Amino acid sequence: MNKRILIVFLPALLAALPMFAGADSQWLLQQSTLTYHVSHPLHQSEGVSHAAKGKGVCHAGQCELLIAVPVKSFDSGDSNRDLHMIQVTRGAEFPLVTVRTRLPESDATASTINADLEIQFAGQTAQYKQVPFKLDKQGNEIHITGTIPATLTDFKIDPPSLLTMPVKNEIPVRVDLTWHQQ
Amino acid sequence: MLGNLWRSSVSGLLVVSLFGMLAPSLIAQTAGEGVLTGRVTDPSGGAVANASVTATRIDSGQKQTANAGPDGTYKLELPAGNYRLTFEATGFKTLEISSATVNVTVPEVLDGKLERSEAVNSNLALTQQENLPNAPSSSMTAPSLSDLGLSPEQTRGNPQEQALLDKRTHMLKIHQRMGLITTIPLVATVILGPGAGGKSEGTAARDLHVALGSLTGDLYGITAYYAIRAPRIPGTKKRGPIKFHEAMAWIHGPGMIATPILGIMAFDQKNKGEKVHGAASAHGPVAIVTAGAFGAALLSVSVKF
Repeated sequence: MNKRILIVFLPALLAALPMFAGADSQWLLQQSTLTYHVSHPLHQSEGVSHAAKGKGVCHAGQCELLIAVPVKSFDSGDSNRDLHMIQVTRGAEFPLVTVRTRLPESDATASTINADLEIQFAGQTAQYKQVPFKLDKQGNEIHITGTIPATLTDFKIDPPSLLTMPVKNEIPVRVDLTWHQQ
Repeated sequence: MLGNLWRSSVSGLLVVSLFGMLAPSLIAQTAGEGVLTGRVTDPSGGAVANASVTATRIDSGQKQTANAGPDGTYKLELPAGNYRLTFEATGFKTLEISSATVNVTVPEVLDGKLERSEAVNSNLALTQQENLPNAPSSSMTAPSLSDLGLSPEQTRGNPQEQALLDKRTHMLKIHQRMGLITTIPLVATVILGPGAGGKSEGTAARDLHVALGSLTGDLYGITAYYAIRAPRIPGTKKRGPIKFHEAMAWIHGPGMIATPILGIMAFDQKNKGEKVHGAASAHGPVAIVTAGAFGAALLSVSVKF
């Protein structure tokens, strides 16, 4: 009797196992706006990129996210400034800024999250703990906004100067991302 | 007349020489550090991306770290001295080079060939990383750069282009500093202009004007040289204030040539006791337009308006 029950229910049990393990899902970065802000006594300037690419893979309740953006894609409206930015951040040698994070899958339904970020930029790696982001989920899309409190010293970048006055160390990066679930 | 011009030129040259002595120290300030560079490879010669390269100054213990790029190249800008180098990468044994000398004149090239570590060690490293609470990790499910559809041109580092950018920035920094220095005698020359060309028969103000004008011209020449000779970066489309800055150069450039020529003519006429006449009478207006264009060029890349 027990053997019969086992034979009948075993295929069903095996089929249900992945559900308990947590279904895999993927997220793709659909739209992005990354904006860095630089402060100088004579200037306030911003560089914007819409060229970020990103992917998130969720497995067993955890999502691994990777975003990469070409350094050259940032446009401040001044080609001379952009070339200086690429030079000072060694953007030709290290052409990508990458951001990695790992989040619980349940965060997708939250309105705010705090993420630990690992950012590779200018040949250096910096980690940012508990960076707050706002989330807005609508259907299969999540809109994420926040500001990464980056500084030049985090990436060992010499502050560029104009008229012998250096820019401020703080270069906050505003993030505006729309992720689409596959 | 020629004696006056000679005296003025000599005094101008003296001031130029003084600035000439100061200029190298100004230029040297932008150089500063030496460069340690190289490539990190695996036993087969393949690039080890993201390898950590740490230089520890032997006399002070001061450390500086850089990560290798996707092609395995790294670059550290360090004060001259002796360093101990450590190459580290997940899955490889740590490589130590006990002594490397960095000097400011020639980049030191040191490649690091890493040996693969035992599987136990790499698993341990992964486990330690995974144990960090809410920390970025690299598990089997983590997306990689190859998943993002980036082209090889977007992911591959280009040290040659970086070297070109470094040279460009270095030259433009000197251009900027020399431009600022040039502003001082330029303004002084313009201010003294009316006194030099007035009804006064005295030659002191005129001589000083000529000397400052000569100094301005020489410094301007150095400033222009560093802008003209700075390397162009292929594929760059000019946008923003730099276009106005360069447009102004088409005014103050010819102006800086015409002004002294007209000035010599005016100087000659004044020393003959004549009233400045003919083309020479354009010396003042041309100088004003030139100085105005120079000032506008400087402001266009300095202040947002």
